[in-house]
This record gives sequence, structure tokens and C-alpha cells, in this order.
Amino acid sequence: MISNEVPMRKSLNISQLRRRWQILLLQLISTASLVLLMQRMTRLYGTCSDTFVESYGDSLYWCPAYEHTRGLRWFEQETGSLVLPDFLTGLDQTGEMTVAAPLVLCFAITGVWIYVLTRGESTRKWINIAVAVIFFAWMLLPFLISWIMAMDHPLNHIGHLWGPLLFIFELIFLGVVFAPVLAGIMGIWGLSKKFLTWTVGYYLTVIGVHAILTFEGITESVDLGLNPLPAQIGEATMIGGLVSPMALDLIEVAILLLLYLESGSAVISHMEYASLLPKDAKRDPDFVRQFENVVNGHLVHLIGVMSLVALTTAIALEFDDFLISTVGALSGGQWSGQVKESLELQLTYGKVISAGLFLVVVAGMRFVLPWQRVTGIFETALLRFRSSET
Amino acid sequence: MWTRKAAIMLTSGISLILIGMMISNFQLMIVGLSFISLLAINGWVSGHSELLVERETSATNVYKGDDIVVSLTVTNKSYRRTQQLELFDNVPHEMKMRKGINQMRMNLGPGQTAKLRYVVRCPLRGHYTVGPVSIRYRNAFNLFVNETKLDDRSDITVFPQIRDIEEALLRSDVPKMYSGATTLKTPGPGMEFYALREYLPGDSFRSINWKALARTGEMMVNEKTRDAVTDVFVIVDTRDVSRIGTVLKNPLEMGTVAAASVSNYFLKRRDSVSLVTYGSRMDYIPPETGDKQYFKILSGLASVEAKGSMPLQAVTNALSPRMSRGSPVFIISSLEGDGTTLPAIRNLSGKGHEVIVLSPSSIDLERLVSRIPRMSYEVLKLERQNRLTAIAGYGAKVIDWMPDVELSQALLQIKLG
Repeated sequence: MISNEVPMRKSLNISQLRRRWQILLLQLISTASLVLLMQRMTRLYGTCSDTFVESYGDSLYWCPAYEHTRGLRWFEQETGSLVLPDFLTGLDQTGEMTVAAPLVLCFAITGVWIYVLTRGESTRKWINIAVAVIFFAWMLLPFLISWIMAMDHPLNHIGHLWGPLLFIFELIFLGVVFAPVLAGIMGIWGLSKKFLTWTVGYYLTVIGVHAILTFEGITESVDLGLNPLPAQIGEATMIGGLVSPMALDLIEVAILLLLYLESGSAVISHMEYASLLPKDAKRDPDFVRQFENVVNGHLVHLIGVMSLVALTTAIALEFDDFLISTVGALSGGQWSGQVKESLELQLTYGKVISAGLFLVVVAGMRFVLPWQRVTGIFETALLRFRSSET
Repeated sequence: MWTRKAAIMLTSGISLILIGMMISNFQLMIVGLSFISLLAINGWVSGHSELLVERETSATNVYKGDDIVVSLTVTNKSYRRTQQLELFDNVPHEMKMRKGINQMRMNLGPGQTAKLRYVVRCPLRGHYTVGPVSIRYRNAFNLFVNETKLDDRSDITVFPQIRDIEEALLRSDVPKMYSGATTLKTPGPGMEFYALREYLPGDSFRSINWKALARTGEMMVNEKTRDAVTDVFVIVDTRDVSRIGTVLKNPLEMGTVAAASVSNYFLKRRDSVSLVTYGSRMDYIPPETGDKQYFKILSGLASVEAKGSMPLQAVTNALSPRMSRGSPVFIISSLEGDGTTLPAIRNLSGKGHEVIVLSPSSIDLERLVSRIPRMSYEVLKLERQNRLTAIAGYGAKVIDWMPDVELSQALLQIKLG
């Protein structure tokens, strides 16, 4: 039926697709977004408040901020030692290098996980059993053996359970920062939508919990020492007066979150489609060509739309300034004066309402600008030019 | 149309903005704003389905079990990219995909064409329609979906399979019994003039054309057309009871195969064949010969469905004035649930028709789908045997057709019986 087939390396087989540059690029974009997101989150939410730090003086302190070394150091001081070596937890490093080793560990775990996933059913089962048996043996065997050997002193051997318990606590401290990273990487490279959405949900929860715990009404009753975000977004001094440093950080978090989710989901969606195709369609030139069209279109769309979303959000946040200057430029008039006064309040409500107005305008632009027709005409002209060249 | 994801994004965006406003948190507000920005920007991109779709099928009439190659060419005639489209060619669920797939994800540039090829098998007889083509535009981020249908349809008729029964019927001497009145356009012993030919030793003097001899001076003889079989009537039971068994193996399916094969056999011999189906109503195709009749019969058999409960006697009474005297009648029926079978066959035999009853064993067919206790099966089988014996007693040739027996094998029972 099919007269010509594409070579195997260009086919839509999953093993071949995993090496396709478009798919790899999407996965790399998603991974980079995730790592950058973690770094931005640590920068924004990883510190304790100044008053909290001062109250501890020189001694070690801990607050539920989004950073792992502080908690581990505090835990080490409280318990005497850690089960995990410092080079694995990043405690032997300073600054942003503290996340390097745990990140490598996350990639390594993902690699092993994907390797196990690609094995046969029985091999997978045996590996799972072996890991569970080794873990529980390490946790319980020393305790059980000492308990059986020294029945006369029933309480002396309870210390054997302390090690595994410490290990679990250390994992929790590490997990606060690296569990979403691990799940995210697993989602991207192990093609799991569940992990992708879980990671996004986790970050949104962290942002939400931090916002609530640093809300003035809450801190008056319970202050956990978290460093609140500034109440004002600041003066727009960056990118030609478009955005303030604070706003840029916050927009980055939002955009990275979206970029991570959309690029990761795109890989899964395209792979799912390819896996549904029968063997002969996977090598059909038309199917392959259209698949490439779709993925290329997706990449262009991803980059273009995300850049526009970032720009739109930034402009939307400064739209109140634009309105104020426009109204100020209007001479006299009671009405313009009142509008100026109300907008000049520069409070959250004014900012959000003006941003909402701007987004409505942006959404309405689809009915005004026939940009798809314009790009289509350009594309047609380009195709004709190419065909005349050949 | 908005997808669930878009709706969730909008509601979470608004919620985050509101919560952010309530607790004066810019991060929540900005995440919410960026969600809504994403929706607003994505609204700018819309796909379209102004496509030219052409479908080609390798055949429009096929036999049950045959394959059809379907080729769908899609061209974007506009100056705009289609954006991500999911194209789905609607194939009746009775057809089975053998090769390729009837759907494709595409993003056609201006003037670009894509071709979709697939092979479907038609395991069930009937009239089917491939199409229309469903096209779904899906936003790259799965935020908006828009579905349209292009009304491009291809009609396909699946005829019942034709089994080779020639040897079976020859060995059973069936055709020889049907001496009759219909003249066939082949040379042989008969009454009607066919052609002139040169005299050969052994030709009767009575056949010499004396006028031709006087005119040409050569001995010429008149050749006559062969007098052959009269009209053959094939009556197929399509009542509701004929659906007993599986989808592929039931009295109706076996009956249509038998009717098509018998008709094919007689039509090939240039005899006239009439098809009568009865279920909820009686459908009658008058006796004719030739390829056109063959097509009519196959089309008629392709469209029959198991429904109704018309008695056989009503059919034979209605047909009686139209049946030429002595013409053979094939009755293909499971003979279940019809008290008029015996009198109907008795009447036909009484009027000098050669009646052959081909009866798929519905009890054995039922056993394919449900468990019948051994004792009940034995009793039912005995009842059926008694019924068949009674019919045979009226001079009909009865064939008890078991599900696992080929048609040609079953027809051999005529001789053996």
C-alpha cells in the first residue's frame, strides 16, 4: 500500500523519537525551566525574616523557608550527626552550589527509575522487592537482632531504630526543596503527566502557604520567621522602565512554571500520539512530515506565546502607570482629576484592575489584528520563493 | 470551545488574583495574571478547517471478508496555516482496521497536502458509509478545541461471500432435474432458431436448411438454442429468529451466503433466478438472468436484517401465481418458530415444485453463544429432526446444515440423502 517509507531513524517509533531534536529540545526547555524555577523559588522564599534571625544571635536557627541546608545544619546540631554525607546534601558547599549535588542525585535517581521502567515486568518486580527488602532490613534488622540477643535489657537496643528515623527526617528536609524537582524530572524524562502536574501543584502550594504564613494578620498571631515579600512592587527601572526588579523575579517564577508545564506536557502529548500509530503509519512519509510540522509548530508557539505572556504580564502590571500619565496629560476637568486621584493610590486593587483592563484589550486584539492571515501570506510567498529556487 | 484545562486555568487565575488581593501578595496575583495572559494570547491563534478533502476507495462493492484501501487527500487551499488539526475519517464500527490508521495529526501550511492511507476489512455484509471527515482544531496548549465535519462520504456495499458449490450441485444431480421452458442463448437441443452452420456428418436431415442449400449450394443446418432450466426461486428467511448465534455465524448470515452462492451458480448457467426474502415484510426480485440480476440479488442480500415474524405460508401464497410450473424452489430457513412451514412446503410440492430446504441448525448455533444443558439439547435436537423428517415426508429435499460444515459439503447431503 505504501510505496515509500522513511528510513528507520526518521520514523515515529518511540525509541527514535526520544532522539529527535525537537523532542529533546522540549525536554531540555522543561528541565531548564524546572531547575531555574527551583533556583528562583529558593532566592525568593529561602530566607528567614531579619527579626527572626536576630532573635537567635549566633546560634543556629531554622524556619520553614524554602531552603534545605539551614534545616539540615540545625538538625545535625540537634542530633549530633547526619546519616547522609555532606557532599550529597550540599552542606559542604556555599551559595547556589549547595543545590548542585542534590540535583545530580535527582538526575541519577531519574536515570535509574527510567532504566527500571524499561525493563521487563518480572525484572521490575524483583528490583522493587530487592529495594524494599534492603531498606527494611537496614531499618529493622539491627534492632531485631540486638533485641533477640539481649532479651534481659529490653530498652538498650531502641537506639538501633534511631539511625533509620534520622535518615527519614533528613529525606524530609531535602524533600521540601528537591521532591518537586525529582518528580518534575521524572515527569519530563519518564513521560508522566501525573508527576508534571504534581510538581506545579506543589510549587503553587508553597507559594500559597508562604503567602498565608507571611500575611500580616497571621504573623500577628503566629510568626514562624518567614521572610515576607515586599508589599510594594517597586519602581520600574529595568528593561527600559518596563518592569521593576521585584516584578521581574515574580514574573519569572510564573513564566517558568508555565514553561515547565507546557513543554513537559507537549512531549508527553506528542509521544502519546506517536505511540498510538500503527507500525506502518510510523514510517509513512506523510505521517512523519505532519508530525514534524506539528512539533515544529508547537515549538514556535511555545517560545512565541511564552515571550508574549511574559511581556503582556509585565505591561499589565505597569498599565496603571500608563493610565495615570495619560489622565495626567489631559488638561483640567473634574472627571480626569478624580480618575487620577483614585489611580494614584497605587494600591493592589488599582494595579490589578488596570492589569485586568489591559488583558481584556489584549484578548480583544484577536478580532482586530488579522495577524494569522499576514503570517500566512508571508509563508506562502516564502514557499513560492523556495520552489522557484529549486 | 474551551477545554477543561482552559476553564481550570481561568478559574485558578481569577482565584489567585483575588486571594492575592485579599492578602496583598503580588506573587499570587502575578501567577494569576500570567494564567489569564496565557489564555488571552492563545485566543489570538485560531485554526481553521477550510480544507479540500478527497477520498478514494479501491472498491465500492466488495464481498464479505474483503479489504478496501481508502486514501484521503487533504489540501489546505487557504493562505493561512491550519495550526494543529486532528483529522478523523469516520469508518463504520463493523469494519476492522487492517493496515494504517484513519486519523492523523497535522499542521498544514498554505497550499500543503497530506495523504492518509488505510486498509479496512469488511467482515459483515451490508451497506456502509465511510465518512464524514471529522476535523478537530486543538490549540497547542490544549486550551481551545473546535470541531467541524466535512461531509465527504463514500458508500460501500458488502455482499455476502460466494462459495464454490458447482461440484456439489453437479454431483447431487440437482440441475438435471429442472427441465423447463426458458430458452437459453446457447446452441443445443431446443425449439428456437439460434444460427446456421455447415452440415457435419451425423446431423439429422430434418435440420438441413433447404433454402440455404438452394441459395449457396452448400449443405447448411439450422442450429437451435438449448432449452434449459426454468426459473429458480430462492427464498431466504430473515425473521427475527434468524439472528440466533454469533454476529458472524447465525442462520441469517449462513442463509445469505447460501442464497448468494446458489444464485451465482444458476446465473452462471444463464438460468433465471428470483430472490425472495421475508421477515418483517416480503421482498421479491422477479426472475431474471445475467449480471444485472446477479448484482440485484447481492445488493438485496447485503441489506437484509433479522426482524419480523412473517410466516412462510404467507410468502408461498403470495408467490404462487408468479411461480412458473415445476420450477425449483430453494428455501433457506432455520425453520424455527413458524407453524406454517409444513403446509407451505406441502403446497409447493403439491404444485409440482422441486423443493430443497437448506436449514441452518439454530440449536447448534445457539450453543456457540450460550450453554444449553445436555438433556435440553438432546430434546430440542430430536424435535428438530422430527420437523425435518416431516418436511422430507412431503417430498422436499432437506439439508440439516451444521454450523461447522461448509456449504458445498452440506449440499452433498441431497445426493447422500
